[in-house]
Amino acid sequence: MKEEKDAKQQETIQELNPEQWKAGPKAFIALIVAVLFFSGLMVKFPDMKWLAAFDFTTLVGNFGVIKNVGKDTFVGSGGLGARGGFMFALSLVPSVMFAIGCIEVLDHYGAIRAAQRLLTPLLKPLLGLPGLTGLALITDLQSTDAGAALTKELYDNKLISKKELTVMGSWQYSGAGLINNYFMIGSAVFSYLTVPLLLPLILMFVFKFIGAIYVRIILNTVYKEDFKNEQ
Amino acid sequence: MSNNAQSKHQTNNPFDIFIIGARKGFNVAINNLVPNILMAYAVAQVLQIMGVMKFLGDLFGPAMVVFGLPGEAVTVILTAWLSSSAAVGLAANMAANGLLDAHAITVLMPCFFLLGAQLQYMGRLLGVADVPKKYWPLLMSASFLNAFCAMLLMNWVFAR
Repeated sequence: MKEEKDAKQQETIQELNPEQWKAGPKAFIALIVAVLFFSGLMVKFPDMKWLAAFDFTTLVGNFGVIKNVGKDTFVGSGGLGARGGFMFALSLVPSVMFAIGCIEVLDHYGAIRAAQRLLTPLLKPLLGLPGLTGLALITDLQSTDAGAALTKELYDNKLISKKELTVMGSWQYSGAGLINNYFMIGSAVFSYLTVPLLLPLILMFVFKFIGAIYVRIILNTVYKEDFKNEQ
Repeated sequence: MSNNAQSKHQTNNPFDIFIIGARKGFNVAINNLVPNILMAYAVAQVLQIMGVMKFLGDLFGPAMVVFGLPGEAVTVILTAWLSSSAAVGLAANMAANGLLDAHAITVLMPCFFLLGAQLQYMGRLLGVADVPKKYWPLLMSASFLNAFCAMLLMNWVFAR
């Protein structure tokens, strides 16, 4: 017992010994970069303005300024760098909260289940997938990770073949987590859209199928040999 | 008091459900959106100062015409491949600076997600679902195809 303790102590002493610390050339380069980055030196070269891109204060940037009182929001205009980005991102929080709140309620009343119902008959003719894959695919519209987990489960339980797994993967891969991502992330630029809000969403949904059909065709032609042994 | 007891037993109350969703939204916004956009703004700053934006814009300008986009938009498309939120943040930044107009944002919208975060989703989706690695390039090509066709459609048909 005591020996063990001694060994541990010895180890700690070893670790604390400055001679044991390893700092390769990479570490020293990183240190030099850190010093230069925070020093403010990089903005002092008028001939080489691009060096300012490696200066902390430059990248921290500026908050926007409220120029037109009664018109500008708290984000102001002319915000730059981290400060500008932070204020802009903060201005998006309410719309994201509201959108996800609404989706949660609609989901509770079965909107997603209804979508699954509508989707299922399309799976066989378009993608050659059995109807039981519908849940995994619909889940992917909301959560990439949950969709991926469900898909794996289907394959592990031998409910789908390798080819079907690949087609499912392609459907999920392009535009994963579509609905949630669209409302959570896309909302940042919703105000610029010149088309109805739902149009890009529907277009992307349709393209998920087109991409998967393309993959299915390639699998059936170019990679035909790979799936010979599957029924 | 009675209100409290009710909310405990009745999860069917749409207001409570809304609150649950709004809370989720808050967490996502604070933990994902804010850091991502903050980074995108800083990266945009670097690209702008170094002149990368202008360089890529001149280089890809002719190709971007097909999509009705200015050449600078190529940085957004390339960023989308790495992260949807960074791309949206960058686009928002460029729109605020007048580099992208409303038409360009509308055309780019499907690209943010159809091409979005492919690098991340390789691990999170294809890796987790155990899709054979052999077909990953094929799936990626499908995503590119999707994004480009969707942008063409947006430019030619919908965002006229």
